[in-house]
Amino acid sequence: MNLRLRLVLEWLLIGSVASILVIFALSWRGIDDFDNSIYDQLSAAGRPQADDDILIVAIDDRSLAEIGKWPWPRDVHAELFEKLKRLQPRTVAFDILISEPSGNEEPDNALGAAIAGAPPVFVPLHFIFPGTDGRPYETEPPIRQLAENAAGIGQVNLSDRDEVIRRIELCFDPGNGDAQWPHLMELQFRAAAAQESSPAFGRTKCGEDLILPYAERDSFATISYADLLRSQVPDGLVRNRDVIIGATAAGMGDSHPVPFASGGLMPGVEIMANMLSTLKSDSFIRPVGGWQKIALSILPIWLLMLAFLYFPPRLALISSVAFLLLVLASSAIALAWKIWIPPAGALLGILLVYPLWGWRRLQAMSDFMENEVKQLQKEGEIGPLLNSGSPAGDIVGRQSAALGTAIDQIRDLRRFVSDVLSDLPDPMAVADNEGVVILSNDLVEQRFGESVDGMQIDEVIDAVVVPSQRKAVREHVKVTATVVPQNNEAENYIRFNSVDGRTFVMRRSPVINDKERHLGDIYYLADISALASAEAQREEVLQLLSHDMRAPQSAIIASLDGKLNKSARKRIEQNARRTMRLAQDFVDMARMTETEFAGEDILFADLVRDVADSLWPLAEERKLKIEVVDRSDSAFVLAEAEALSRAIGNLVDNAIKFSPQDSQITMTLRRIVINKSNHISLTISDEGGGIDPQILPRLFTKFASSDREQRRAKGTGLGLAFVETVATRHSGSVRAENRKGGGADFVLLLPEAEEG
Amino acid sequence: MRVAIADDEIDVTQFLAKIVEEQGHVAVTFSDGSLLTQALVRDTFDLVILDWMMPGKDGLETLKWMSETLTDAPPVIMMTNRTAKQDITDALNAGADDYITKPEDRGVIAARINAILRRTTSTGAFETKASYGKYELDRIEQTVTMDGKTVSLTAKEFELADLFFRNRDRTLSRNYIMETIWRTTASLATRTLDMHISRVRSKLTLKPENGFRIFTVFGYGYRLETIDKG
Repeated sequence: MNLRLRLVLEWLLIGSVASILVIFALSWRGIDDFDNSIYDQLSAAGRPQADDDILIVAIDDRSLAEIGKWPWPRDVHAELFEKLKRLQPRTVAFDILISEPSGNEEPDNALGAAIAGAPPVFVPLHFIFPGTDGRPYETEPPIRQLAENAAGIGQVNLSDRDEVIRRIELCFDPGNGDAQWPHLMELQFRAAAAQESSPAFGRTKCGEDLILPYAERDSFATISYADLLRSQVPDGLVRNRDVIIGATAAGMGDSHPVPFASGGLMPGVEIMANMLSTLKSDSFIRPVGGWQKIALSILPIWLLMLAFLYFPPRLALISSVAFLLLVLASSAIALAWKIWIPPAGALLGILLVYPLWGWRRLQAMSDFMENEVKQLQKEGEIGPLLNSGSPAGDIVGRQSAALGTAIDQIRDLRRFVSDVLSDLPDPMAVADNEGVVILSNDLVEQRFGESVDGMQIDEVIDAVVVPSQRKAVREHVKVTATVVPQNNEAENYIRFNSVDGRTFVMRRSPVINDKERHLGDIYYLADISALASAEAQREEVLQLLSHDMRAPQSAIIASLDGKLNKSARKRIEQNARRTMRLAQDFVDMARMTETEFAGEDILFADLVRDVADSLWPLAEERKLKIEVVDRSDSAFVLAEAEALSRAIGNLVDNAIKFSPQDSQITMTLRRIVINKSNHISLTISDEGGGIDPQILPRLFTKFASSDREQRRAKGTGLGLAFVETVATRHSGSVRAENRKGGGADFVLLLPEAEEG
Repeated sequence: MRVAIADDEIDVTQFLAKIVEEQGHVAVTFSDGSLLTQALVRDTFDLVILDWMMPGKDGLETLKWMSETLTDAPPVIMMTNRTAKQDITDALNAGADDYITKPEDRGVIAARINAILRRTTSTGAFETKASYGKYELDRIEQTVTMDGKTVSLTAKEFELADLFFRNRDRTLSRNYIMETIWRTTASLATRTLDMHISRVRSKLTLKPENGFRIFTVFGYGYRLETIDKG
């Protein structure tokens, strides 16, 4: 499978699995417990201040001891309320449920009368779950006298799922469309603050949980019931305070577990006080629940998964821990803003995701290594690997070792390939899609003088190809680069001459990877200079046969047509000899390219005279005089006598051809010193019309022989090319120039042979 | 005199036979080497002109056969299409007396044939004075006059000139010249001969205008050719 696709799929899978696990976990009790304990820890860090206006009247152990066993007669309560009236509290909550009428009406009526009027007294109502006779609940209302005279009746349900009182409901909704009951403290608050309802009550739906932040234990002002009954309290202590009367005595059973680190129970009345205090400061904590809780629990999972995608593996653990801390910190910060985000789900998710991801990545890595190694072995790129008894123990270790070996082998292979490349007999370069050379062998560098890697292929072309062909080669590269070639051999190569005078065929073959993508091109240069010169020679042979040989032969045939008088015979003879000389020139030239130079010691002036003498009949014919001026001081040259004679003969023959009648051809020999070594120069001067300046630069060029103009000027195609070949072979040179006074000078220069 | 001509080309044998007959000799032609060798066993010839390339027995084989079989072999002139130096020296070293490269001017061929026949029939008589065209040699005074003017030569130069004129139209090997003039071949610097010949050549202005030319057979020797001004 595609590695990338696999990555994406596994990523999604791990995120989803973790998310689903977390969603399920959110309904587990354990998660709640964990959340609660985190909450307890966090909330212990910042507890609210107890409200100073709240006064608890505690039915404590001392009160029981002084007043008597519980339940107390109702007139005791009536008496207390009478006393309270005089002390003028703002509100009173009587957290004692008196639901059954006593035997006679008198004390009940007295109590009812005592709570009537100012200050407002609020009494509780209990719910009993489940109710009798299949009802879901039953209410346990206060006795009629209390109910009629109280400022309000509020419910006092205290329950939490883990039996620790963290959450309260400001409003109880029994369901079934029954009446909703506000909490006793909500009623007291409304009275104390003279408001329709508390802000918290207004914000929340009925039945919605709010978390109650607790002030420190025993931080509410408290007086004993007995002390109040006996008026043993200072004046003004009660005035304008919100009084809550409730049991604190251990034996009375109205104590509940509270979320304090120290654990323990708290009397219901203190819990009520905390509620009232919180209502007053409007600092209930709103727990995030439902889908918001799910979303907030899952969000960190996906954020962490995203981080896994972009961070390197070594940061995975760090980022996981960071996310854990971040989630906790977020919860703490939210708590300061009175919102409780339970972090346990998110924490669980993070703790799940890290090992899952690590596991899948390790598995993916392991699979990948195994596949790659197998693939490499299948393709025959590397030898057997896994049986090498690798020291690393576990499977991943062994796979790593195998992959390591494979990489070593591939490195060797690469080195081998690059060695092969650099030892290729012809220059070669590889360019990428942009035309930048990314690889080239040593020969390119040698030819170029520097590495071409990183250069544009066009730049390389400009530096190598002769100017006249650059455009064509660039066009060729451009055209074949844009069109991915269809293995059409003929279109994939171009022939050009290099600036250093060689001939190349550049073949281009595209590099296509196994996914059919065009990666670049290989430019392979074959040096076909030898082939090209063979071609030129063949061209020369054809030239010789088609023109040079034919011309004199046609002349002979033409001469035979007329009367065979003496001059006709002469012409025939001359043309036949010319044909022979051509053939001989040609054979000699061919021989010279094949054989080593083997010169003998020759008196140059002798050789020159021989040549002059041999051409005397030809000169005589045209009334020409050949004068040899010898200033060579009996110099010898190392020469292949026949070839040199023929070469000089060609020059003289040429001079004869272009000399007017009755003129003179002078052959001057001089001994001259060039670069401290002796040379012999032979100047052949005629009195003809000179050489066409246009032809002069190319006079001796062998391969320009197809030029018709030049052909006519030279008369015999090979003649002067032969001269140059011979001169070069003798380590000499030949040049031609026009004299100022008219006529041409051909100068042959040869090194002198020292005696011995 | 009887001259045997062996060549497989009928045009060439007829051409040569005509030259030979014009010089007042008898020409007998053969179309290959084996026919010639059969004839040589029972017939006597004063000169053999051999073609290099022939069917049956080629020129060089025939030449070898002659030097190995015949007790008094006639002189041989080899004819060759090739001007390659090696072929010429091979032929001369194998015992040929001279060579002719085809195609050659008829006058030159006649001169060569006469030169060989002249040597073989020479009486060896010592003439004190001899005249060759413009040149007159006085062997007592050891002087050469050209158009009546005396050309001053050293003793060795005179000997060289004399040797060439006597053997005009014959190819002389360097060894032969050195043995004849210096009576040695060993201790003589090779360039000495070349320089002497060059000097004789320019002092006597031996060039075609004056009826003679010196022809260098590179790698073998020299020949003084008479120029047929026809």
